[in-house]
Amino acid sequence: MSMNLNLTLKVWRQKNSNDKGHMETYEARDISTEMSFLEMLDVVNEKLALEGKEPIAFDNDCREGICGTCGAVVNGIAHGPQKATTLCQLHMRHFKDGDVIYIEPWRSKAFKVVKDLIVDRSAFDKIIQAGGYVSVNTGQAPEANNIPISPEKAELAMDAAACIGCGACVAACPNASAMLFVSAKISHLALLPQGKVEASERTLSMLRKMDELGFGNCSNERECEAVCPKEISIANIARFNREFIKANLGSTVE
Amino acid sequence: MQLESRAPGGPLQEKWDKHRFDLKLVNPANKRKFDIIVVGTGLAGGSAAATLAESGYNVKNFCIQDSPRRAHSIAAQGGINAAKNYPGDGDSIRRLFYDTIKGGDFRARESNVYRLAQISNEIIDQCTAQGVPFAREYGGMLANRSFGGAQVSRTFYARGQTGQQLLLGAYSALMRQVGAGNIEMFPRREVLDIIVVDGQARGIVVRNLITGEIESHAAHAVIMATGGYANTYYLSTNAMNSNVNAIWRAYKKGAFFANPCYVQIHPTCIPVHGTYQSKLTLMSESLRNDGRVWVPRKSGDKRNPNDIPESERDYYLERKYPSFGNLVPRDVASRNAKAQCDEGKGVGSTGLAVYLDFRDAIKRDGAEAIRKKYGNLFQMYERITAQDPYRTPMMIYPAIHYVMGGLWVDYNLMSTVPGLFVLGEANFSDHGANRLGASALMQGLADGYFVIPYTLGGYIAGSSLSDVNESHQAFKDSVKKQTEQINKLLSINGKRTVDDFHKQLGHVLWDNCGMARNDADMEKAKKMIPEIRDEFWQNVTVPGSAGDLNQSLERANRVADFLEFAELLVEDAISRRESCGCHFNVDFQTEEHEAKRDDENCSYVSAWEYNGEGKEPTLHKEPLEFENIELTQRSYK
Amino acid sequence: MGWFIKNFSSSIGKKQIMAITGLIFCTFLTTHLLGNLSIYGGKGSFNSYAEHLHSLGVLVNVAEVFLIIFAALHISMAVVLYFQNLSARPVRYVKKKNAGGRTISSTLMPYTGLIILIFVIAHLINFHFADHTNQTIFDIVSNVFSNPIYVISYVFVMIVAAFHVKHGLWSAFQTVGANHPKYMPFIMAISLIFSLIVVVGFASIPVYIFSSI
Repeated sequence: MSMNLNLTLKVWRQKNSNDKGHMETYEARDISTEMSFLEMLDVVNEKLALEGKEPIAFDNDCREGICGTCGAVVNGIAHGPQKATTLCQLHMRHFKDGDVIYIEPWRSKAFKVVKDLIVDRSAFDKIIQAGGYVSVNTGQAPEANNIPISPEKAELAMDAAACIGCGACVAACPNASAMLFVSAKISHLALLPQGKVEASERTLSMLRKMDELGFGNCSNERECEAVCPKEISIANIARFNREFIKANLGSTVE
Repeated sequence: MQLESRAPGGPLQEKWDKHRFDLKLVNPANKRKFDIIVVGTGLAGGSAAATLAESGYNVKNFCIQDSPRRAHSIAAQGGINAAKNYPGDGDSIRRLFYDTIKGGDFRARESNVYRLAQISNEIIDQCTAQGVPFAREYGGMLANRSFGGAQVSRTFYARGQTGQQLLLGAYSALMRQVGAGNIEMFPRREVLDIIVVDGQARGIVVRNLITGEIESHAAHAVIMATGGYANTYYLSTNAMNSNVNAIWRAYKKGAFFANPCYVQIHPTCIPVHGTYQSKLTLMSESLRNDGRVWVPRKSGDKRNPNDIPESERDYYLERKYPSFGNLVPRDVASRNAKAQCDEGKGVGSTGLAVYLDFRDAIKRDGAEAIRKKYGNLFQMYERITAQDPYRTPMMIYPAIHYVMGGLWVDYNLMSTVPGLFVLGEANFSDHGANRLGASALMQGLADGYFVIPYTLGGYIAGSSLSDVNESHQAFKDSVKKQTEQINKLLSINGKRTVDDFHKQLGHVLWDNCGMARNDADMEKAKKMIPEIRDEFWQNVTVPGSAGDLNQSLERANRVADFLEFAELLVEDAISRRESCGCHFNVDFQTEEHEAKRDDENCSYVSAWEYNGEGKEPTLHKEPLEFENIELTQRSYK
Repeated sequence: MGWFIKNFSSSIGKKQIMAITGLIFCTFLTTHLLGNLSIYGGKGSFNSYAEHLHSLGVLVNVAEVFLIIFAALHISMAVVLYFQNLSARPVRYVKKKNAGGRTISSTLMPYTGLIILIFVIAHLINFHFADHTNQTIFDIVSNVFSNPIYVISYVFVMIVAAFHVKHGLWSAFQTVGANHPKYMPFIMAISLIFSLIVVVGFASIPVYIFSSI
């Protein structure tokens, strides 16, 4: 059954990347429990706009949990309290009347705040540019069924490839490490015969780029896995570590 | 102006081959001298940018999202069609071609669709080589499943995330070229204008969504792959940022707009549940394989669905279409749901929903079997509605989902503005009046990977292109004009928000030019839209400034265009004196209430030409000729 | 040689040095504990274990040198990683909660590590560098553990060490890539069991000595 909630929001407001930023308090009145979290913010923003104030800027696009655009740390947890759920798919029925909700942007040296809850995640693109691909030009592909792939491997690769690049893993990691994101791509490609060919170059080059961009180091705290909306496993991080050993000590790639 | 489809002559099977031979080539060493702008990074834009860069062009790629990986192609669930015939069930290029033409209710160009079917197989090869983790059989070979509108299994898939995986494949190819320095990437940019110099598209003007700066970018050709305009209706399954701006502004620079009234409505979406709702969520069509659609026999029956006995339920699809039952095509299923709700038999708090019931399937196969097939969908449904579909029937309602209309393009995918190419959902080319499931991904990638690399070369090699750079007067004029429009939006300081206007427009369109259209309502909409537009320009409030990240301003700019475009959509719907595919005018229906085409008079593509502000657009008709197939009436009884 | 420096100074490289040295210390703890348990055989048995160990001569010195090198690597990597991790998030959250991955033992790693380091130094002063001329190792041990403050602090540090080992052991496996859906539950269980063995095994000795005096 739908109910209405009155909530207090503590939201991070920051004009631009040079601004210092601060928490600001808003009242959200008559919020239906059937709303999504972002729809709740829409309601708050409509009110702000009518008052001539600047609405809270937040990134969002597909609102069905697949594009990876949205995300904020809600009451201390990336994407909020609901497991395996992006912020856009979190619904207000998981909150109680009178709740105080803290909403903060992803925090990491590698993700600068652009405005309010919006951060710059271009670091992820840069990591993929460093090797998150199979080097095959259009037209070079052999007939698709020439290389059989066991369903087991295809499924494992798919588990890793399901990553939506939202950055929650970095936001949740006590060290702001990007290992889950990077390992998901390394794993996806290392598990497939097409990707194995350049695995060593890829592993070393993506790792170096990740380090260079200022992400922290993995200390196996498993917070990334706990908040990942696609439930990507840290088994992928272990695979990345294995791939590193292979590339470091088992290949001629420097 | 005469519409020239440039479809080559000769036998269907040889057209594309012959055409590629006839197209002039650009010397590989010369390609880097040509700057190509690609707008959009979805399946069409991403694959085009990557492939053009691979072949040596100097590419500038733009997108509105923070990363090219977020384009809305990512949300496609079901799969991608190809005529590989791996299951050996009688598929062929010709059958895929035929199914696509028939599914589109015979309103697409034969030559384009045949080429699409030919290319489909190469797409699967390419994506597999990129590492797309398609589903596999036990022996390691690629798996196929069946999909609506076809009697063969030809759909390749990666769980329910095929669009995501194909997009990430194209994105990885794109990133490889960015890393290699062959593509300059411009994320968070929105197109404001197309620059035409000497009759040729030579650049774009964009707004940097972070700094607010209005930037000019010159090039030798412009490729638009900016997706569809379903968000004109406010509520749709499209992403929040999907819009019509780029193609609408190209239209105003001389690109004809084709078939704007062809809008696809998907029958199985989660119903609207409140006025605050921002978007609709699609549930895969596959649910209709096991779910039974019904409404209570009595109108206004508010009982718990589980308390309504069998005798008081109306399984209206099974009753009306005994042979296809719940599996009738999308448009038929959608219209019937609307008809039931119009009779007051709709369920749920709004009365705008019908039941999709798995009770019998669970009884027959067991809950576990159903969980295996649809577990993730049931979970998604429960997350949004907090209702358990294993115990209570799902509620569904149709929603706007995809548009077949778009900028008119010839066989080369070039619009009526030379040098402006349009790919993917943004063009009108391959789906006629209705798109089959799993064909959108196929078209986007065919256009980007395998068509544009050839046809763009033909254009570049065959045209004389003068020196144009960002300091050209055309850019300066445009920047000035766009700055004025932005400042105007910010200075109105009215009493209604942008979203408020957008919602109002959406209601008018959905009610008067939605699933089942009639002349009186469409005329009404045609009158109302300019009124809303006028009020918008007098009473909208856009907070914030032009010089930084301002999401209200972004939306205002988009809604301003939706308000103009909507009028053309309605105009097109009125002008088409038949029903076909997704365009259903109640005045044109068979005795069985199906869309009744008029092949004699309406077998054409409507292509609208802009004549300036406040002037009526001109309708051009590209006649559709069918030399290889026979036109038939669809029937699903 | 360039590759060697580059790779081992990368984030994974450093972590793998931590992991390998950590695993070596776990092995060291095992042998150390097995030796120590000879104390339950009485004074003679404990002293003869010590003599037996010393009879290995130069091997012991070599082992000691290696242990010092490993400790230096483990500690220096820990310090570098700690500060790098700190700087990876220059602006902290106003409100931060654990989502369910972190445990007390993983959260406290740097601090339990620091306590262990201080302990090891004290431990070496107490026993290794103690005056061995007029007393047997058993005498030294009995002497130290006659003091209840020593007993309590030893027990406390062993609890701390158990926490360090509980996260450290499985974490080392993970870092060298040993994570497999079939075996991971065993590795987790072994980490827990091993940490319990460490705390019960080592901490029981001072308690036993103290109570038997």
